[in-house]
Amino acid sequence: MYRQGDVLIVPVADEAVPSHVPDAPKEPRDAKGRLVLALGEVTGHAHAVLGRGELVREPGPYGPFLLHLPEGGRVVHEEHAAIALPKGWFRVIRQREYVPGSVRLVAD
Amino acid sequence: MTITQENGTAAVAGGPEDAAGGDRAEETARWRASAVAAVPADRAAAEEGIRLAYRSAGLAGPERVVWAGSPREGVTLIRRGTDFGASVREAVRTAPWAAERRRLHEELGAAGWSRRWAETGGALWDATQALVDRIRAGVLDDLAEDDPAARTEIGLVLLDALLGQHDAPWLAALDTDGSPLAGPALVCRSAGWWWPFEKVAVVCERPVALHRDEAGRLDHGDGPALEFPDGFALCAWRGMPVTRAFLDELRTLTPERIRQEDNAELRRVMLEYYGYDRYLSDSGAQPLHRDGTGTLWRIALPDDEPVVMVEVLNSTPEPDGTHRTYWLRVPPATRTAREGVAWTFGLDAEVYEPLKET
Repeated sequence: MYRQGDVLIVPVADEAVPSHVPDAPKEPRDAKGRLVLALGEVTGHAHAVLGRGELVREPGPYGPFLLHLPEGGRVVHEEHAAIALPKGWFRVIRQREYVPGSVRLVAD
Repeated sequence: MTITQENGTAAVAGGPEDAAGGDRAEETARWRASAVAAVPADRAAAEEGIRLAYRSAGLAGPERVVWAGSPREGVTLIRRGTDFGASVREAVRTAPWAAERRRLHEELGAAGWSRRWAETGGALWDATQALVDRIRAGVLDDLAEDDPAARTEIGLVLLDALLGQHDAPWLAALDTDGSPLAGPALVCRSAGWWWPFEKVAVVCERPVALHRDEAGRLDHGDGPALEFPDGFALCAWRGMPVTRAFLDELRTLTPERIRQEDNAELRRVMLEYYGYDRYLSDSGAQPLHRDGTGTLWRIALPDDEPVVMVEVLNSTPEPDGTHRTYWLRVPPATRTAREGVAWTFGLDAEVYEPLKET
C-alpha cells in the first residue's frame, strides 16, 4: 500500500474486483486529463493519477474509489512527493478523524 | 483534445467523447468558481441576465430591479414589498430547467444523463448545497429566532429564491449557451440569490468574504466564515456553526477555560483552535505510545471521554527541510500509534504497512 498525505492507495487482487466494476461508469478526468482521487476545495490541490487508467466510484467495502492502472502510473500532489504505482487494481481510502459521536474526513 | 506532457505518458485517448469531457471539466471548474465567488456583483450583467430570463419566458420583464446586500435583506424586502406582483419563478426558471433536463435526458439516455451529472453538477452539489442550507438557517435565525409563524413565512420565501451563484451545480449539468437557461446562467455568473416577480426582481449581492477548509466546509477562526456587504454573516469552525461571541473568546482561551466548557463539541473546537500541541505541553500530558507511525497522546477530561490523538510527521519535508507535524483524533480505546493511524484509514493495525509514504 502507498500513502500520500491523507490518501491511502491499497492494492486489490484482480480476482477480488467485483465483476460489475470493469463495465461500471468511469469517473471523468479533470481539465488537465488527470484522474483525481481527492480534490482540495480551497487550494485546488489534488491527489491525482497521471497515465492510462480508470477510476470507478464504488460505494461499499471497496469505496469510494477503485483505481485501475493497466500499465502502472504516478500519483502526484502539489505538496507531496510523487509516488510510482505498479500496474493493477487499487482501493483509494481517504483519511478520517474521530469526532465524538461521528467521524469526519481529513483534507490536507 | 490536447493532453499536455504534464500527464507524463500522455496516453489519454483523443476521441471526440474525451474532448467533450475535457471541455466539460474546464467548464465545471468555471461553474465551481462562480459558486464560491466572493466579489461584488456585476450588476449590469446580472440585470441583463434577469431581463433575458424574463424575455425567454415570454414575459415583459420587471419594471424595477431591486438590489439587496444579502439573502437576509432580500427576504426582508420581499416581506415588506406590496406591489411586486406574483412570483414568475416557474416561468423564468423552473419550466425551462425542467424542459432542458428532459431534452438532455432523452438525448443521453438514463446512463448518459447519470454520467453527465457525475461529471458536472454532482461534483459541486454537496459543498454548494451545504452552503445554501447554512445561509437559509442563518437568515431564519437572524430574522425570527423565536417566532414560529414568522419562521414558516420566511422559510417559504427562502425556498422560493433562485440561487444565482449557488445554482451553479445544476446549471453546470445542462446546456446554457443560447438555451432558455442563458438568463439564469448569466445571473449565476454575476450575482447572488434572486427572486423574480411580475413587476420587480429582487437580487442579492455576493458575499464579501468566504472562508472554507479543504473539504469545502465553512471554516474560520478569526471572524465570520461567510459575510455579506450588509453585515449578514455566519461563523463556523470546520463546518460547525458557532456564534460570534464564541469565536471572539477563542483568542483568549486558557487550558482552564477549555476544561470548564460543558459542551463537548465546543470544547473540541476550543482544543483545535488552541492547538493540541500547545494544550499537551501546557497540561503536561505524557505520550501513551510511540512507534514508527507516530506518537499516541491522551488528554483526560473531567466528565467526558478522553481525547486520544496520534501525532504524525508529514513524510514530505517542507522547503526548509523540517517535517510538518499534525494531530488526528482517534477513538478513545486506541492503544498504539500504529493502531491509531491505521484506524484513520479504516484498517487494522496489523495490515497497515505502507511501502511508500510522502
